[in-house]
Amino acid sequence: MNTQLADLLLNDRGFAFNPASGETYQLNTTGLVMVRLMQQGLDHEEILMQIREKFDVDDHTARRDLEAFIDETEKLGWKP
Amino acid sequence: MNVQPMRIAISGLHRGENPQPGAGIVRSLRRRFPDAFIVGLVYDAMESGIYVEGGPDVVYAMPYPTAGADVYLQRLDEILARTPFDFFLPTLDAEIELLAYLESGFASRGLTTCLPEVESLHRRSKNHLSALAEECDVEVPETEAIYDLSGARRAIGRLGYPCMVKGQYYDARRVVNDIELASAVNKLLGEWGAPAILQRCINGPEFNAMGIGDGEGGIIGLCCIRKTILSDKGKGCGAITIRDEKLERLCQRLISALQWRGPFEIEVMMDEEIGDYSLIEINPRFPAWVDFPSQFGVNFPAALFEMMSGGKTPATLPVCQPGHFYVRHQIEVLGHVDQLAELATSVDFSALPVHPV
Repeated sequence: MNTQLADLLLNDRGFAFNPASGETYQLNTTGLVMVRLMQQGLDHEEILMQIREKFDVDDHTARRDLEAFIDETEKLGWKP
Repeated sequence: MNVQPMRIAISGLHRGENPQPGAGIVRSLRRRFPDAFIVGLVYDAMESGIYVEGGPDVVYAMPYPTAGADVYLQRLDEILARTPFDFFLPTLDAEIELLAYLESGFASRGLTTCLPEVESLHRRSKNHLSALAEECDVEVPETEAIYDLSGARRAIGRLGYPCMVKGQYYDARRVVNDIELASAVNKLLGEWGAPAILQRCINGPEFNAMGIGDGEGGIIGLCCIRKTILSDKGKGCGAITIRDEKLERLCQRLISALQWRGPFEIEVMMDEEIGDYSLIEINPRFPAWVDFPSQFGVNFPAALFEMMSGGKTPATLPVCQPGHFYVRHQIEVLGHVDQLAELATSVDFSALPVHPV
C-alpha cells in the first residue's frame, strides 16, 4: 500500500503511524532522522551530509545506512 | 415550549462473542440525548445489553422475523399499546430483510424508521455483490452462491482451497479441505438458510467503513478503520481509524450506485496480490463498533436520529481523524433471576423494568 512519506505521523521517539493504512512502526534514531529529512524534501547528498555530522560517522557508513533504509521504505511503499 | 424526549425502539442488544450493534447505538444516543426513552426489543432474555447500566428503559421480547410479517407487526402493536414510541431502529440483518418490505406498515402506525429500499438491499446481498462491484469498478473475490453440498463441491473445484464459506446473514468459516467444507456448508445452510456463499480467500489486512446514506447517493458521514486485532471468528476486537482517499472513493461509488438510505457498513480487504481493496460485504446496518467514533465526537446514531426526526438530510458529520483506536473490552454485566423470570415466563412478555431496586 503506497503512502506519501510526508503523510507519516511521527513522534520524537520514532513511533510512526501511517494514517492511510493504519499501520504503526518503531524507527530507530537514525531512521527517524532520515525520515524527517526526507519529509523536509532534502536530496540524498544533503541527507548524507547531515547524517555524517549528526552521528559522527564516515561517508561509507552513512551511505550504507541510507541505502539500506531507502530499500526498507520502498518495501513498505513509502514514497518520497 | 415543552419538548418531549425521544421515544425509540432498538433491537440487537447482545454483546457476546459476536456482538450486535443495538447496545452501542443505545450508548451513543444516550451521549447526545440523555433523556431519551429507549425500548429494547429482544429475541432472548440473555441479550446482555438488557442488563447494562444506561441500557434500555424497558424491554420486550419479540418473535423471530422468520415467524413472518403478520406475527411481527401484531407483536409491535401489542407493545405500542403498552409503551408508545415514535421511532424504530432495527439493527440485525435478518430483521432488515423482512422489515424493508413493511415501511408502509410502520408509517400507518405512526412509526418512523430509516430502512433501505428493497431493491438496494437486494443489490448488496452476498449473492449479488459481484454484479454491483463490477458496476462500481470495485474488485471482489470470486464468489459463488451454493444451495446444497453437491453445489459446494462443484464450486470448490473452480475456487480451490483455502476458501471462505459464509452464511446468508452471519457467520463465516475458512475451510481447507473437503471435510471442513462439508461441515461448514451443512452448518451454515442449516442455521441461516440458502444460499450460503463460497468466496475465494484473500490475504491482506481488513478494513471497515461505517456511514449513513442519504437515499440520494450521498454519504452523511464516514468512518474508516483498519482491524488490528481479530478474534477466531474474524471479528474486529481492535481497530484504528484511517483516512485513505482510495477507500473513501470506493465507498462513495457503492453508496451512490445503490442510492443507499440509512446506516451501512462496508467490509473490504487489501488484496496483497493485486495491491487493491477487494469488497467482501456491505451490511445494511451500523456495525457493533458504532459507539467508538461517538466517543471522539462523531456520533452516527445521533445523526441518524436527526435524519429520521427531521425528515431531511442532516448536516454532514465531522471527518473522523486517523489515529483513534479501540480495543474491545469484555465485562460481566449483573442481572437477577427475577428479571430473567419476568422475560422468560410472562405470558405476554410484559415490559421488564430493567433496573429494579
